[in-house]
Amino acid sequence: MAAPEVHHLFNHPIADHSFSADRQTLAVARDNNIELYQRDGGKFQLKDELTGHDKSVTGVDIAPNSGKIVTCSQDRNAYVWEPSPQGWKPTLVLLRINRAATCVRWAPSETKFAVGSGARLIPVCYFEEEDNWWVSKHLKKPIRSTITTVAWHPNSVLLAAGSTDGHARVFSSFIKGVDARPEASPWGERLPFNTVCGEFLNNTAGWIHSVAFSPSGNALAFAGHDSSITVVYPAGADQPPSAVISLSTQLLPFMDLVWSSESEIIAAGYNCEAYRFQGSEQGWEIAGSLETKGRPGLQDQREESAFNMFKQMDLKGKTTDDTKLKTVHQNTISTIRSFEESGSGVSKISSTGVDGRVVIWTL
Amino acid sequence: MATLNWRTINIDALDPESPANFDLSTLTPAVAPVSTADVQALAGQIRQLLRGGDSEGALQGALENPPYGADERGKDVHLATIIEILQSIRQADMSPMLGRLYKAPGGTEALDVLMKYIYKGMAHTSAPSTATKITPQPTGFSQVHSSRSGEGGGQAMSVLLSWHEKLVEIAGPGCIVRVMTDRRTV
Repeated sequence: MAAPEVHHLFNHPIADHSFSADRQTLAVARDNNIELYQRDGGKFQLKDELTGHDKSVTGVDIAPNSGKIVTCSQDRNAYVWEPSPQGWKPTLVLLRINRAATCVRWAPSETKFAVGSGARLIPVCYFEEEDNWWVSKHLKKPIRSTITTVAWHPNSVLLAAGSTDGHARVFSSFIKGVDARPEASPWGERLPFNTVCGEFLNNTAGWIHSVAFSPSGNALAFAGHDSSITVVYPAGADQPPSAVISLSTQLLPFMDLVWSSESEIIAAGYNCEAYRFQGSEQGWEIAGSLETKGRPGLQDQREESAFNMFKQMDLKGKTTDDTKLKTVHQNTISTIRSFEESGSGVSKISSTGVDGRVVIWTL
Repeated sequence: MATLNWRTINIDALDPESPANFDLSTLTPAVAPVSTADVQALAGQIRQLLRGGDSEGALQGALENPPYGADERGKDVHLATIIEILQSIRQADMSPMLGRLYKAPGGTEALDVLMKYIYKGMAHTSAPSTATKITPQPTGFSQVHSSRSGEGGGQAMSVLLSWHEKLVEIAGPGCIVRVMTDRRTV
């Protein structure tokens, strides 16, 4: 396993990050702005800044094919940024929400995106050709609290959302004229807009921090504030799921998770390190941390002289300086994303967190 | 109209979309209601196990059946039962017993329940020790009794603290987070 690639951008929390398809451009949400970094050899150089939001930016996502960037913020707005000769050109999106937007993700088809919000609804946004304008349709029905996370099914119709009411839900966001009729899947066959294809609660009904569909879309995983991950295998429309596996861990809660293959999930959060989970419909288990324990430069305590030891004890009341965590990230990891995919699944992931670091991990 | 203080109007009550008008019980996991009599019957069975010397079985039985759906009185009865079990187990036996409970099926759940009771016990250590009906020798004067119960509160706290320490060693900080997160209270 190769050592992780660490880029310390600044000493400030990163709310969200996204790489362009060629992985040369990195967008990070910092305060009210989005900073665009360009890879320059082994480093990332600040290239551009997208300004326009007037409250904290909570989500940023780069569409892999079109290169358009969508951002959302606590100022209740979302913008779609398109490259033009004069720089990035923002288009305001009509979200029609009266609370902060919390997260945003492009659908794989890139014709739509979904925004989570504190207004207990999910605007699903698409481009209205006639009006030259991004408009939204609201997913509303059973949501009782703030949406904290959204994730798309590969068919771009099904949308998973996690909420602070403790539920992870799967909705249909089918929009006539934008989407092709989806193929039948275990989640259901007929899928008009706002069909609730699944509603899941974990044991403690804690806040949901992250949801994700498996690569095939036939399973859903979510992480809650009760330090657990839950994997749901649906059985078909109007039927109880064939398996719901909930795994409580000894660790602090996970903030985000990605499927690296059908049988492996990477999750990271308040423990400041990423963990591997492996399993199938029969059961899941934790399979250790991504941190390599023998990493040079951190845990090697230099041979200290007795004089030095007592001097330190006298000066600081302790012998070793323990202000650094033993993990690569020095604070909570808030976002992890797939960075590189090979034939068998995700081979590299990128993570960002409260410590302002971007780390690229080889799985 | 002039007398109406508009700052005190509860605007949430007028807004049908407001979350204040939700029935919040729909958000919590469903819990079956349990009557206080059932809790007391269970407590009796558990005490019997305890008297028979099977403190591990008693603890397991108590943790597997937390009365989430009971009223305050029923919950207090169960708390007193669990505190009694915890106090009867020697310090050296704590870690191995917790280890076995953790490995048993549904073990994390049982240890989460134990953590809930440890925190609840800490919240009113003095209350259960005065409320417990275990006064085997009805000899104490009221004065003596009250001073002894004060002492008992401190002792109960030290027992709970050592259980807490052993429990975190085995179930990790995740256990504490789950207690804070869980909407099913004991």
